[in-house]
Amino acid sequence: MVSGQWSVKYQDILTPDPWPLPPDLNMADKVKLRQLDDYRWEITREGKMRTRGLVFASRKMIPKIQEDQSLQQVANVATLPGIEGPSMAMPDIHWGYGFPIGGVAAFNLEEGVVSPGGVGYDINCGVRLLRTHLARREVDGRIEELVNTLFKNIPSGLGSRRKDLKLTIPTLHEVMRYGAGWAVKNGYGHKGDLEHIEANGQIPGADPELVSDFAMDRGKDQLGTLGSGNHFVEVGYVLEVFDEKLAGALGLFKDQVTVIVHTGSRGLGHQVCDDYIKVMLKAAAKYGIELPDRQLCCAPLSSTEGKRYLAAMASAANFAFANRQMITHWVRESFEQVLQMGPKDLGLELIYDVAHNIAKIEEHLVNGKKKKLCVHRKGATRAFPPGHPETPAAYQKTGQPVLIPGDMGRYSFVLVGTEQALTETFGSTCHGAGREMSRHAALKMARGRSIVQELKAKGIIVRGAGRATIDEEISEAYKDVEAVVEVAHGAGISKKVAKLKPLGVIKG
Amino acid sequence: MHPKGPRPVKYRQLSHTADLGLRIRGATPEELLENAGAALTAVLTDRRRLRRQKVEEIEVEAPDLEALLVAWLNRLLYLYDVDAFLGREFQILELNPQSLKARATGETYDPERHLAGTAVKAATYHHLEVKNRNGRWEATVILDL
Repeated sequence: MVSGQWSVKYQDILTPDPWPLPPDLNMADKVKLRQLDDYRWEITREGKMRTRGLVFASRKMIPKIQEDQSLQQVANVATLPGIEGPSMAMPDIHWGYGFPIGGVAAFNLEEGVVSPGGVGYDINCGVRLLRTHLARREVDGRIEELVNTLFKNIPSGLGSRRKDLKLTIPTLHEVMRYGAGWAVKNGYGHKGDLEHIEANGQIPGADPELVSDFAMDRGKDQLGTLGSGNHFVEVGYVLEVFDEKLAGALGLFKDQVTVIVHTGSRGLGHQVCDDYIKVMLKAAAKYGIELPDRQLCCAPLSSTEGKRYLAAMASAANFAFANRQMITHWVRESFEQVLQMGPKDLGLELIYDVAHNIAKIEEHLVNGKKKKLCVHRKGATRAFPPGHPETPAAYQKTGQPVLIPGDMGRYSFVLVGTEQALTETFGSTCHGAGREMSRHAALKMARGRSIVQELKAKGIIVRGAGRATIDEEISEAYKDVEAVVEVAHGAGISKKVAKLKPLGVIKG
Repeated sequence: MHPKGPRPVKYRQLSHTADLGLRIRGATPEELLENAGAALTAVLTDRRRLRRQKVEEIEVEAPDLEALLVAWLNRLLYLYDVDAFLGREFQILELNPQSLKARATGETYDPERHLAGTAVKAATYHHLEVKNRNGRWEATVILDL
């Protein structure tokens, strides 16, 4: 029984109509844009900007982007010290807090800064994709049962926590130090998984001692939980293959059943971000960094504050890798339970796991010279090319897989990283669709409809912890991810491999 | 209906595509903070269904009133994450320029009885503002969802 599962009445969800944004928040962007080609727009360097802005978008996307302040945010990031290359935004750019969502900015280690607002509250929110040996027809009629089993095995929803798994502080420290490796060592998945995760599922330099007790309190019974909002586990299939050779190398074929997991570091990461924003507000004043927006607060990468944040951020990022690894284990168990098949026959193997909210120390070419930079990706995905030392061994010939989830009613994309991305965007590309409609507007649009039934009619079984989350996440509330991916592909900062369509989704 | 006409609006959500803005009002800074607590709970669940079963004493520190507002809301989110506690009513017991003491009365979230509203990751400093407008206090805060 999917509909009618909520014992609480729904009519009260809709709060009164929101007020319009106050004038200072509602200014249409006055930032000057210059079109460079079909996919690139430049924000001219002006005022306190230390560099130009570079936005990847199609002409059709521009009016919507100009409605809010995301372009101003790209310009604001350009004012921060030590920025290398342009302040960039990927085609899924939208208004965030501080940095725009879809923002990419790299800073040199000498004068540059690190900003918790350039990573976001959900540190190492990310996506992983699993393939199977199954063709779509082999799960015909079993999706509802699969979705229900996944829903039972993976705690999800507002404030989801595990009653069976409360971590002690020493264990939590190990999780934060070793990330996905901790999970594998403790029986969640196998060693081979680690080779298919960004940074092998462990960001180096983590120091759990720099994570507050408040953060650990929030994290200790949230490991292995999906959470709420736009997080999900999705069973789908390969609808279309764009490049047979690349798809083959990634182990993907048409009609193949796939699974996507999208979640992050839960309350632990949120608290780390909040804790360090407070530190950075003081640090920015201490080091004389002028801030156009308090949420951009930062500290020099060479400062104690900067180094401490990076070590705490790495700890939270590793918690997120462990989280996705554990959920993967329960995905495998759920499939085995429902389909009564062994792991060998199921072939639920990890294709890749990428972070889309993170700051990383990476080596890039700047004016022809190799240089270590701190690359902030906030709602952006790493997209390293074939042959790059950080591209995993399995993908040395294809380029690093990039996973772009869409909304629950449409489709998701698999891409690979390119040389163009490495030279132009510090090896980065888009991360998703981006909202087009506020949650309130989405709830209003969903009112009187059964989104669950509508999706069922389209062949997609959805199960969520609350009806509000499902209604807020209706397809109409999101931009079409295909348009975003077309820009990334057209601009050459990643290459399309395959398109996936959902069959069953569990929402937080 | 209030005996002297409609009650003044304590808070209202602001339309924002990706995240959620809150506009909060109060006669005093204390009332403003109390109403901010209620506004946050109203995003997470239907506040009126919460019973007055549990009391939490809260103390937070921050360099100024705006930062106190953010720290206060984030502390309430912390209590929700850790104890599933949701406040129905809030009382500011003591407010200093750089700290506050408060009491929240509410109960533990129960998915069987309570509405699952919108998940909030954090209150942010983006476009954060607290000001006194013609003798009344007004705040704008953007939540990361």
